[in-house]
Amino acid sequence: MATFINASKRPTLALPFLLPSCESASLELRRCQSTYRRTKQRLRIKPDASFGLSSDKIQDHIIYNPPSSTSSVYETPTKFLPPNDVRRALRSDAPSNSQNVDELPPASKSSPEKRYHLTRSDVEEIRKLRLSDPMTWSRWKLAKRFNCSPMFIAMACEASPQKKEIQKQVLEAVQSRWGAKRRMAREDRELRKESWGRDA
Amino acid sequence: MKRLQLQRWSSSVLSSRARTGGRLQRHLYSSNRFQSTASNPLPSESDLAGEQSTASSGSTPFLKFTKRQLPSPPVQAARESAKLAALHARLYLPSRLPLETLARCLVDASADPDPQFNNTSLALLGNDLLSNYISEHIVCTYPRLPLTVIFAAVYAYIGPKTLAAMVREWGVEHAAFPGGEVDPGLLQFKRVAPGTDISAEPIRGTTRPNEDQTTWRRSITSSVVYDNEYGDPVMAPKPPADPSGSSPQPPVTAEQASCSLVRAVMGAIYLHAGRLAAKRFFEQHILSRHLNLSELFNFSQPVRDLARLCARENYEQPVAKIISETGRKSRHPVFVVGIYSGKDKLGEGVGGSLVEARSRAAVAALKGWYLYSPLEVRVPSSTEEPGAAPWKPVYVDLGEVIV
Repeated sequence: MATFINASKRPTLALPFLLPSCESASLELRRCQSTYRRTKQRLRIKPDASFGLSSDKIQDHIIYNPPSSTSSVYETPTKFLPPNDVRRALRSDAPSNSQNVDELPPASKSSPEKRYHLTRSDVEEIRKLRLSDPMTWSRWKLAKRFNCSPMFIAMACEASPQKKEIQKQVLEAVQSRWGAKRRMAREDRELRKESWGRDA
Repeated sequence: MKRLQLQRWSSSVLSSRARTGGRLQRHLYSSNRFQSTASNPLPSESDLAGEQSTASSGSTPFLKFTKRQLPSPPVQAARESAKLAALHARLYLPSRLPLETLARCLVDASADPDPQFNNTSLALLGNDLLSNYISEHIVCTYPRLPLTVIFAAVYAYIGPKTLAAMVREWGVEHAAFPGGEVDPGLLQFKRVAPGTDISAEPIRGTTRPNEDQTTWRRSITSSVVYDNEYGDPVMAPKPPADPSGSSPQPPVTAEQASCSLVRAVMGAIYLHAGRLAAKRFFEQHILSRHLNLSELFNFSQPVRDLARLCARENYEQPVAKIISETGRKSRHPVFVVGIYSGKDKLGEGVGGSLVEARSRAAVAALKGWYLYSPLEVRVPSSTEEPGAAPWKPVYVDLGEVIV
């Protein structure tokens, strides 16, 4: 291979920090650091422990070493396969590493248990309050009073048109104070959010 | 069941210029070609009778000169065109498809309004074949796809843009202006004037009722009934103004003319060489194109949709769990979130925030549901082969998640 048999112009031993400690003997004939052999040697990294055979026991099966990438969307999860699909039986034999599912931390707050405690009269009351005084009885206050979620208030009734108009003006007033940078950053954030649903 | 005699059909359905002949002779004796886009008025019967005697004594140079009178090349020119023979060989078309029919496939209705000499009838048949084959392929291969994705996939496979790209890849050149003296190996159509805004006027005259109500919601399910195979509005058939059908047609774009060419070639192969050859042509030219179906999806609320799906299918409610994370306090954290239903992982997503990773994981789970494909895919048209196994019903899904 590309081993250059040139006499070096300058004493390599003057730069000892560049030299790997093991091969100082043969370095007089090398021209520079980045020879093929040395690059190759640097890349010779010991493989991960899970990759090779363990020394104590001899294995003769195929090693399954899942990559760190996400799986293809064309590979249907086992739960989504129809009951008569062959792959369901095939995958049940495969070793599953789902023992630690319960130990994994949740990614979002768990939604509270649904109570279904509001009656028809309560919903009527919510509608009446929100229509009568929309400034006082906001969604959050109504939710707090009736001990339900603001989402339920939104499902039960809608704000009056006057309140919507006021809220729109408030939003416009806030947005009018934004500069170009903040406005663009907000728009970019919306665009990025939309792209979540498109990508794989 | 006995197979249909397609060869016999083709002689009755197709009428080539060689057999009719009368129209060609009529055109030979009319005057010089006008520099107008409208087709020439046909001479009356008395003119024809009067000129018949002078025509019989006509010489070859006169005949060559009056070729310019025809709206599209005569049938005899097909055998002399090098371009046409090259196209036939390049596409590896069956030898039972004659060059004359291939020449007719290249004549659009805007070039020659006579339905006996343009490719309208062939394109109609070819379009039906193409949409039948591609829709059965998509529906049988991916039985759970939502309707919008099916429409998008059909459009991607046999839509006008794809067919125009195919014609470019085939190396078919466009004639500058159609006419009898043009090489029959060129695609002949009358072009729209440059600068014309094609999509300016709203579409009127569709088969859909209450089409003037633009604010009304048009559901995707109604597209199955009213719209074409891409979910686009389809125009209602208009009664032809001229009973012979030879009224001048409006000019078309190069894309529309390319579409009719591919469809007409498909129809011509079906008529001349049979169903097997048509299916082979479809597989080699349409199905061989790569389409990544997973890119056609666009979810607006993937987490909610997945929850509805699991509730519908009686699975445990999906729960998002952090599989791994790095740099939570840094500027660029990376979270790997998996969505689990009970013990089973439905999907996995990577994102810069927990919300993003959860959303992407839900998208992956939904795509995993919708892109389910059975192991042995068989389409209904495969039972048409002689000695084919009887048809077994394919997997039919409940349908997409409706929130």
